[in-house]
Amino acid sequence: MAIVAQSSKFGTYGRPVLAWAVGLLFFFPIFWMVLTSFKTDADAVKPEFLFFFTPTLENYLNMTENYDYWRFARNSVISAVSATVFTLFVSVPAAYAMAFNPSRATKDVLMWMLSTKMLPAAAVLYPMIFLAKGIGLYDTHILIITVLSLINLPIAIWMLFTYFKEIPKDIIEAGKMDGVNTWGEIKEILIPLAWGGIASTALLVFIFCWNEAYWTVRLTTIDAATLSKLIEGNRAPEGLFFGRLSAVSTAAVGPVVVLGWFCQKQLVQGLTFGAVK
Amino acid sequence: MSDRKLPRLLQTPAVLLLLVWMLIPLGITLYFSFIRYVLNSLRHPEWTSPSLSNWRGFGNYQFVLNSKDFLLAIQNSLFIVCSILFLTVILGVLIAVLINKSFPGQGIVRVLLISPFFVMPAVNAVLWINMILDPVLGLQGIAVGGINDILDGMRTMPVLGGFFSLWPEFEPISFRATQTSAIAVIMMVTWQWTPFAVLIFMTSLQSEDQQQKEAATLDGAGTWSQFRFLTLPHLGRPIAIVVMIQAIFHLSLYAEIEIVSRGNGNKNLPYLIGEFANNNIGAASATGIFAVILANIVAIFLLRMVGKTLME
Amino acid sequence: MGRIVLDKVTKSFGETQVIPPLDLTIENGEFTVFVGPSGCGKSTLLRMIAGLEDLTSGNILIDGEDATEVPPSKRGLAMVFQSYALYPHMTVRKNIGFPLRMEKMSQAEIDERVEAAAKSLNLVDYLDRKPGQLSGGQRQRVAIGRAIVRDPSAFLFDEPLSNLDAALRVGMRLEISEMHERMQTTMIYVTHDQVEAMTMADRIVVLQAGVIEQVGTPLELYHKPQNVFVAGFIGSPKMNIFSGPEAEKHGAATIGIRPEHTDVSMSEGTWKGTVGVAEHLGSDTFIHVHNTGLADMITVRISGDISVKHGDTIYLTPQAEQIHKFDAQGLRIE
Repeated sequence: MAIVAQSSKFGTYGRPVLAWAVGLLFFFPIFWMVLTSFKTDADAVKPEFLFFFTPTLENYLNMTENYDYWRFARNSVISAVSATVFTLFVSVPAAYAMAFNPSRATKDVLMWMLSTKMLPAAAVLYPMIFLAKGIGLYDTHILIITVLSLINLPIAIWMLFTYFKEIPKDIIEAGKMDGVNTWGEIKEILIPLAWGGIASTALLVFIFCWNEAYWTVRLTTIDAATLSKLIEGNRAPEGLFFGRLSAVSTAAVGPVVVLGWFCQKQLVQGLTFGAVK
Repeated sequence: MSDRKLPRLLQTPAVLLLLVWMLIPLGITLYFSFIRYVLNSLRHPEWTSPSLSNWRGFGNYQFVLNSKDFLLAIQNSLFIVCSILFLTVILGVLIAVLINKSFPGQGIVRVLLISPFFVMPAVNAVLWINMILDPVLGLQGIAVGGINDILDGMRTMPVLGGFFSLWPEFEPISFRATQTSAIAVIMMVTWQWTPFAVLIFMTSLQSEDQQQKEAATLDGAGTWSQFRFLTLPHLGRPIAIVVMIQAIFHLSLYAEIEIVSRGNGNKNLPYLIGEFANNNIGAASATGIFAVILANIVAIFLLRMVGKTLME
Repeated sequence: MGRIVLDKVTKSFGETQVIPPLDLTIENGEFTVFVGPSGCGKSTLLRMIAGLEDLTSGNILIDGEDATEVPPSKRGLAMVFQSYALYPHMTVRKNIGFPLRMEKMSQAEIDERVEAAAKSLNLVDYLDRKPGQLSGGQRQRVAIGRAIVRDPSAFLFDEPLSNLDAALRVGMRLEISEMHERMQTTMIYVTHDQVEAMTMADRIVVLQAGVIEQVGTPLELYHKPQNVFVAGFIGSPKMNIFSGPEAEKHGAATIGIRPEHTDVSMSEGTWKGTVGVAEHLGSDTFIHVHNTGLADMITVRISGDISVKHGDTIYLTPQAEQIHKFDAQGLRIE
């Protein structure tokens, strides 16, 4: 109580004002992008139309009509959703095994998995293109889904491992006594109990897949190209077409940002890897 | 016992997939790094397809080591990663402490703050370098222009005009230039990842022992001493996590570097590999191997640091 | 049915052997308590019987059949965990019925058995709640219910009462004892609380560092502890144990005398000392006596009340036939 009483003026006025200022400052670039997306390309660079202008949907119409936005968006959804599903399909059993039946090597295996994430993509890009073209998978959904799954697998396993370790071992053992087999343990006990953790892992993997640009841009041309590729294509004439650029960007990041808002709390808990209790 | 072996087998698909994902491309990269292999060559058409007869030994490695960009790229990689880590941790701790206590609209501020983390890195870079930092058309240009206009107005004032005419015109900074492009990258990535640090630190602060703080208050510890001796040590593990995860992501920064200046004055290792790969695959592969070695050094260091806390 | 035989069972974690070769037979219908200080291996031993822990060597026989390699659920045993280990996402009804569902029993029969178990455990009103909405004692009952429905050949309890408060613990202790009287099923019960062991057990197994110190009925352990460890572990307040010249007078290296077997006088007696703290419980008085020259402190227990205060001089006389004598190895001398 004493602490509350002490923080007199700063607590009542200073903290909220400062906190709101920081929050707005961080959000400003996104706000600016959304605002600009409703300006014409010409208005977007004029100081006199900074905040007051006649809003237009021209950029969005242009984007859907001339830039085939929906095809890119569809590809993004297909590859991000499939990759997320596939990642979970592989990582849930793996994390289960590591959390409840650890061997002496488990810790090292986990470390090694995370270290594959540090492998510079650029170092293996060329071999990957070479291989992909060799087996005829270049610019296909299969390839993109596989690559997205693989680069997110380590993070997914780590997050799930963290969540699973929170489940008391006793409950799993009670299940063993009650006669569940391994599959039953996963289906009847693990998944219902760790549902929140699995959902937020899925969400994070989805976001990372959606935002991935390095591989998706370089391993696709048209058929499997995602929204990152659309951004890539629209940023070329630097300093021009701010309205159009903003509209494309808003349409590309909007769904994920909104999704993130709803799940931020659960997401953060998973990302702490259990270091924060 | 069969019901112990099966669960352990469940991790093999993941292990095998990652092993393949790591070893096959790495093997090919290793192979390419020892041969002459270019995409276009008029004088040596035989070098345009990978073959053991074009063996070059450590030639590609020597070539890379002698190229002036290589050392710069390593320095720059480390400079960018370390700056971002430093800034995000400091800002993250400060903001987390600021918004940890409840105030009107805390939930909304949290949502506003986390938003940058979900933005596509490519969009982040495009947004910042064009619409915010552009010296003419971006907000920076517009702001500097506005200030100069006001100054111009003041110069014509009757008495004080003489004083203001001594002031120089402000020059907007071009963040695509050699000296400043790394700053722009650091700025935009810090914007994107500070929210991540804030939220993790905040989660941790909420688990801080309030009784301990009350005891400290009774012992006469002020706000600063409490922060220094209780809060900061409490944040030790989350800081380690934030550093590790960010290092993993930022060592392979690419989109931001490319979009800001196309590597002008600001190459990191991945970008240098990309440049070599435009034609000289052998050199690109050799650089790739160097990058793998660097990543492993960092990885060992980081995993040592955090590894223990993760298994507890 | 439910005779469990441990045959030269050992357990090692890495290099350290926590249980050296151990033989033990638990008879059908017997209520056996494993008791010992924490870390003595009693829980490990129970988990090995359950099948949750592999044996390093040796065999476990259940009703004459080798069960060493049999998975936990096929051993016909039911276990009640210290943390209750209820499934938090299932209602009480589902929790209790879960093992039956895993046996692929028909829904009608599951319902019937769950109802019966719930009735016997006073859980009927809570069947549709989730564990999170129950009190500690109710959760404990659900855990027991989940064990009962399977109609196991033996029950295993792993410190089931240690998470309950003192009053509830006494109540549950009685309930479990009554349950055993009613069902006459083998029960193995692990605890570090010697009061639980003394009050519930048909037979107590005292363990220390993975080694069985003594097996016997509660009163055997009380009256004839085989060694100094058991003498000190069983009984409350603890037996006074000391060596030195006084022990040699009795021809032993160490002697022990229980607090309740010492007579007290304010004027004369065998040993003289000063009163430290006197604890008045009403029914009994515990007096802690210092400066006897025998040990740092001698505790005596007197039935009823006695008016002594701190610093009083007091005389103690042990009841000669109640003195326990031990040799230099700490083993009992008859």
